[in-house]
Amino acid sequence: MMQDTAVQPSKSAGRRLDWAAGPWAKTNWITLSVVILVMLALPWAVSQLSIGRFILHLFILFFVWSIVAESWNLILGVGGIFSFAQIALFAIGGITTGALAKHLGWNPWISLWLAPITATIAALIIGLPSLRLRGPYVVLLTLAFAELVRNYHSQGPTWIAEGGYGLRYVPKLGFEELFGRPLDRIAYYYVAFVLFAIATYVIWRIFYSPIGTSFRALRDSETYAISRGVDPFRFKLLLFALSAFFTGLAGGFYVHYNGNQSPTILSFSVTITLLAGIVLGGWGTFWGPILGTGIMIVLPELLREVDVFRNMAVGVTLALLAVFAPGGLFPLIVDGVRKLVRPSRKLQEE
Amino acid sequence: MEKLFQAIYGGILYGSIYGLMAIGLTLIWGSLRMLNLAHGSMYLVGGYVAWAALNQWALPALPSFALGVIAAALMGLIIQVLLINRILGRSEFFNAAMIATVGAAIVIDSAMLLIFGPRVKQMPPVFQGQFKFAGVVITYQGLLIVVVALISFALLWLFLSRSRHGLSIQAVSQQMDAARLMGIPTVTTFMIVMTISGALAGLAGVLLSSVFYLSPTAGFNPMVKALVVTIFGGLGSVKGTIWAAYVIGLVEAFLQVYFGAGAALPGLFLFMIVMLVIRPSGLFGLGEAQRL
Amino acid sequence: MLRVTDLQAGYGGSEVLHSLSLEVGEGEAVVVLGPNGHGKTTLLRAISGLIRPTAGTVEFDGQVISGMRASEIVAAGVIHIPQGDLPFPELTVMENLLMGAYRPEAWQERKRKMELVFELFPVLGERTSQLARSLSGGERRMLALGRGLMAKAKILMIDEPSLGLAPFLIENVYHAIQEINKNGMAILLVDENADHIEDLADRVYLLESGAVVKEGTVEDVFSDEALLAAYLG
Repeated sequence: MMQDTAVQPSKSAGRRLDWAAGPWAKTNWITLSVVILVMLALPWAVSQLSIGRFILHLFILFFVWSIVAESWNLILGVGGIFSFAQIALFAIGGITTGALAKHLGWNPWISLWLAPITATIAALIIGLPSLRLRGPYVVLLTLAFAELVRNYHSQGPTWIAEGGYGLRYVPKLGFEELFGRPLDRIAYYYVAFVLFAIATYVIWRIFYSPIGTSFRALRDSETYAISRGVDPFRFKLLLFALSAFFTGLAGGFYVHYNGNQSPTILSFSVTITLLAGIVLGGWGTFWGPILGTGIMIVLPELLREVDVFRNMAVGVTLALLAVFAPGGLFPLIVDGVRKLVRPSRKLQEE
Repeated sequence: MEKLFQAIYGGILYGSIYGLMAIGLTLIWGSLRMLNLAHGSMYLVGGYVAWAALNQWALPALPSFALGVIAAALMGLIIQVLLINRILGRSEFFNAAMIATVGAAIVIDSAMLLIFGPRVKQMPPVFQGQFKFAGVVITYQGLLIVVVALISFALLWLFLSRSRHGLSIQAVSQQMDAARLMGIPTVTTFMIVMTISGALAGLAGVLLSSVFYLSPTAGFNPMVKALVVTIFGGLGSVKGTIWAAYVIGLVEAFLQVYFGAGAALPGLFLFMIVMLVIRPSGLFGLGEAQRL
Repeated sequence: MLRVTDLQAGYGGSEVLHSLSLEVGEGEAVVVLGPNGHGKTTLLRAISGLIRPTAGTVEFDGQVISGMRASEIVAAGVIHIPQGDLPFPELTVMENLLMGAYRPEAWQERKRKMELVFELFPVLGERTSQLARSLSGGERRMLALGRGLMAKAKILMIDEPSLGLAPFLIENVYHAIQEINKNGMAILLVDENADHIEDLADRVYLLESGAVVKEGTVEDVFSDEALLAAYLG
């Protein structure tokens, strides 16, 4: 699997960085290909099961929310910026394409591409003042922004709020008419998967780029970053823009998958759940947020048996994990795997 | 003129509400340096227990409210003892505390759902009726909220600045090592802070559930406003939080009265941006040590 | 009164103190000299409970205090006046002093104690409602000492009282410490600077790399020229 280690670019003459030492060169192509093939084949296999359709739905949710989570992690974990505006960007993306498709009759496949653009513009508007503020004041500004968006979505003009319901009866991507069941959901699955793959790849490149790596290592040390020729302000702005781009895209896809977007998506509990997933999986790591999001989606479903106590069990699990695995699950797993591997190597050396 | 008085009264009312909700968060941040995301749930516990006492056990108003406050205070203490005490001192404390309190919040909210059901509940106001003063409609309940809030703030301030334990809470917030060297038991201090914070959140829940409705999902959203007020006031400063609460309340009320309800939130947002540009460290400045 | 035996302590896995042993008798004034980074502050922190020793014991008045919580150690009468004073910046001088008397036994006597502190440090008496963060360096030092005196102390452990002060202020501070010692209080003082300890110290320990390398009276230690030269450069 791709290795989650911080790599120090080797110091050759001048500023030339040893790109061959970057982790992208160390990618285990075999594992990656296998994983991709499995993911591509999965819907067909799963469709054989009676709950196959539901499982695919869970996967789609996973792809969508993982994009949001890893994008948010880019700002939180790499940029070290405590932005709480992420879900607002998601909603803005959804509102953009949903309103265009519903009220102006645009083809969803086209309006979809406007979603990331409006989200990015919004992020830049928020990002510029945010980057000049210190820690908690970014929280303040972004929280206020999110509240603003929520307010507009539920009590604003009818064309986005519909008296509190948000956007309803939004045209979908057309797979229902084209393929019918069960292929329609498989088609949505593939679209979601492609979006997820692209987003993950781009974020991975940023995460492990020389700039990204030094940013992560020196999260609080802006002066050092500057001395190494990195312009923190512009880099953070880039992070904001990218993060918003993918989040808006995910939001756009989601509104066309669901056919609606309710203002409840902007409730604080959704943000908190998302955050919990990121921190749980391991904030600041690359795979952590994705893992954590997966857990936050799957866990309530696994505990469906104890339906009445389901949410409670989720809460208890969170609390337990916080006490026993505060660095997140991903580092824990990495450690565990290393420990499993090491003893046998030692025996070999002896 | 009438509009002016309306705005002033509205502002004071809102400010009192926001202050009650936010002050517990400030206390916790000041001493524990963590964001207690279960704060909204303690608000719910206060409201629900009071409602149950009133409607199901047929207790009179005052004992019911007291029970609500006590229940919320106990909840705060339990969270501290069960969860926070176990993760104190870790390097990842902030993150772990955030997740732990989220977990606690989910558990508490689910419990409320289980016990009381999903339907929205409303508490009857303690005092029915209203009167007109200088052309402004003032409800007795609203007046009660303002009075209780002001008294609570005054009592809290007295406690923090005049009593041995109150001073020790300030000491722990400002310089923890020195506090330990004076023999101040930090773990006990944290427990006291969480209990007081719970009580205040519960008080807010009890008072406000007659104005807003009680529902199991109502826990998280008041917390957002509280967070905004807390941070705006300069994190960790009780004085700052109270000021911020009233400033935000007044700005919101003025916007509502003069520009209509729709203008309130965007206007407030604009106001905040402007303030942050002029004073990037909030109303009372962000220092590592803040006078509680 | 205070007996430290084979103490080991450090931070996050790296040991700073190695098998350190020392003693302070009733009413004694003991000084530990050492260059920076060799464990002076760690020593006091390990005794007062701010950090937990990894090995060895600390006994006070016949009671084993190593491993106890800081608040309990304070209750036993061991008072640590920390390096850099660590005042409560947003509390007034008066409130800082009151916090020194936090524990119930000390709280009862706070009025009397405060008068004693003001006798010793009149400047503090003039600035009772001033915030601690606006005090000058010398005033802060006096506040730290005064705060320590507010407790029911049986021994005062003082960390680098000369740090950051102008020479004449240092004299005043050491003079005050001498007064306190003359009144019967045991003193364990650590410092980098040996200039003012002659009149104060009954015994001296030299600390190097976390262990004691020499012990004796002031004359004993000062007469070893070679050691002193290597030491104080």
